[in-house]
Amino acid sequence: MTSTTRSIAPLRPGPIPALRAGISAGRLRTFGLLLPAILLVLLFLYYPLVFIVQMSFTQGSSFLSPTGAITTVANYTLIASRYLPNLLVTLQLALLATIVDLVFGFPFAYILVRKVHYRTAVRALMVFPMFGALYIAFGMRFILLPGGPATPILQALGIASTDALFSLPSVVFAMSIFTFPFMVLNIGTALGNVDPTLEEAAACLGARPWQTFRRILVPLTRAGTVAGALTVFGWSIGTFAEPLLLGSANEQRALAWTVYQRGVVQTDYGLSTAMGVVLLGVAFVVTYLSLRYSRGALVE
Amino acid sequence: MTTADPTAGVARRPVVSGRRLTDAVSHAYIWTILVLFILPFVALLGFSLTSRPGGSGPVANYRYVVDTFGDNLLWSLKISGLTLLINVLVSLPAGYAIVRHTFPGKRTLFSALTLPLYVPGAVIGISLVLTYNFTYHLTTSMWGLVLAMALGTFPLMLTPIVVALKDLPVIFEEAAACLGATRWQTYRRIVLPLIGPGLSAGLLLCFIIVFNEYLVTLFVHPPGLTTAPLRVFNQIRTAGLDPATAALAVTMQLISLAAVLLFFRLFGTRHLKGTYLL
Repeated sequence: MTSTTRSIAPLRPGPIPALRAGISAGRLRTFGLLLPAILLVLLFLYYPLVFIVQMSFTQGSSFLSPTGAITTVANYTLIASRYLPNLLVTLQLALLATIVDLVFGFPFAYILVRKVHYRTAVRALMVFPMFGALYIAFGMRFILLPGGPATPILQALGIASTDALFSLPSVVFAMSIFTFPFMVLNIGTALGNVDPTLEEAAACLGARPWQTFRRILVPLTRAGTVAGALTVFGWSIGTFAEPLLLGSANEQRALAWTVYQRGVVQTDYGLSTAMGVVLLGVAFVVTYLSLRYSRGALVE
Repeated sequence: MTTADPTAGVARRPVVSGRRLTDAVSHAYIWTILVLFILPFVALLGFSLTSRPGGSGPVANYRYVVDTFGDNLLWSLKISGLTLLINVLVSLPAGYAIVRHTFPGKRTLFSALTLPLYVPGAVIGISLVLTYNFTYHLTTSMWGLVLAMALGTFPLMLTPIVVALKDLPVIFEEAAACLGATRWQTYRRIVLPLIGPGLSAGLLLCFIIVFNEYLVTLFVHPPGLTTAPLRVFNQIRTAGLDPATAALAVTMQLISLAAVLLFFRLFGTRHLKGTYLL
């Protein structure tokens, strides 16, 4: 596409071809078109991120004191010691949600791509989780409430309804519902590019379904699956409403909520921004890996 | 919504024993998961139709939404509208430059522009609330919230625009140019109508996200301005579970669903390719 554009470009009116040698008007126009977007991310993403990185090396709210900020790395050592469980529980929740999505998402995507003819209905229903984790958490909390709709089912399964709400599984369940569509989207796209005749060929050559899955489907969809898992993991580490509304004291320590508590409620800016930076670091590592695997080729 | 015959499409394929059983299990699996998807919504819907303590039935709950939460709904709509406007104004030129112009570092730039999607909401929230406080002095303005929303969602607008422009052969623009149209005319009369569905996909995605956003809003909302999702969040935290709050959550989801169904009706689903919806 790009090369076509380039080769035909001289046909356009205007001064582009003539000026191509110097700093052309075209360059300037490109820059002008990109400027609003660049300004938006610079002012409201990159500068604020630099700001919190700086602030994470100051003590408490000493940033505000007239005698100047006290520089320290204590916030990070505190995270590595006292707040380590917060970080670990965040990673644990994200990992569990990713695993649940992966295990249930792969068959779902496979059936959707290969067998389902009513995909529009499925798509319409699959947008519900996109409306937000808040409503999912709210709904789940009502369902699991002792005396709520799920109580008879839970009793039949031998689970005390007081154990179901405010527990790790209910948090993970809500988180997996929220992120499930992203997983299915990624795996489904990858599966859509796998020729069904490959599976038929494998079956004709005597492969069992399990062998076809392991030797044909998994290798051919690896990029999509890995990208999906990383995307889900990256989204899940920022989980906020689910642990808060559905978790026990342990899950409520999830990092995003602690950032809010320490930063906005208790105005311990140093510690709160340091936690934010840690969260950001995890998110960046995951995103970097995910972009290496996924459709990073969208632009070129 | 169609309920397809589970055995449809089987006839064309080679008959394998147990095929029908596998198909039945497959479709049961799909529907089980879909039921789990809408379970929280159905539960909230049911809850919103129960009586409040001292209230009188479902109608009272929804009347309460209009009377008490009406302001919050209006704020949500207003913030969403302004955010969509900014998103369009930012993404259209940027998307055009990214697809149609050649410049070095294009891929890096695109990654840098879409990065907000991958930054956790709480991090965007804390970084913005601090810079709003100490650098920009935007804490009391509605625009602080709008710009925060725009930053978080404009990549969702940019991506469908880029996809739509890449799918649009450049010959239309060249033809227009050859026939003497100015750059602006070409842009307005040729490009914009042809990428309309892609643009709408972006609008839909951004609307759904912004309309239901509570997390960044919790950090940066100016005093006295509470959007509807934030109100839901606050109500659950302070007032516990209340059918009226459930009614508000149901209202929000129904408005969002209406937007999605309207889009499906008008444009189908294929324009959402390359975005976060199937």
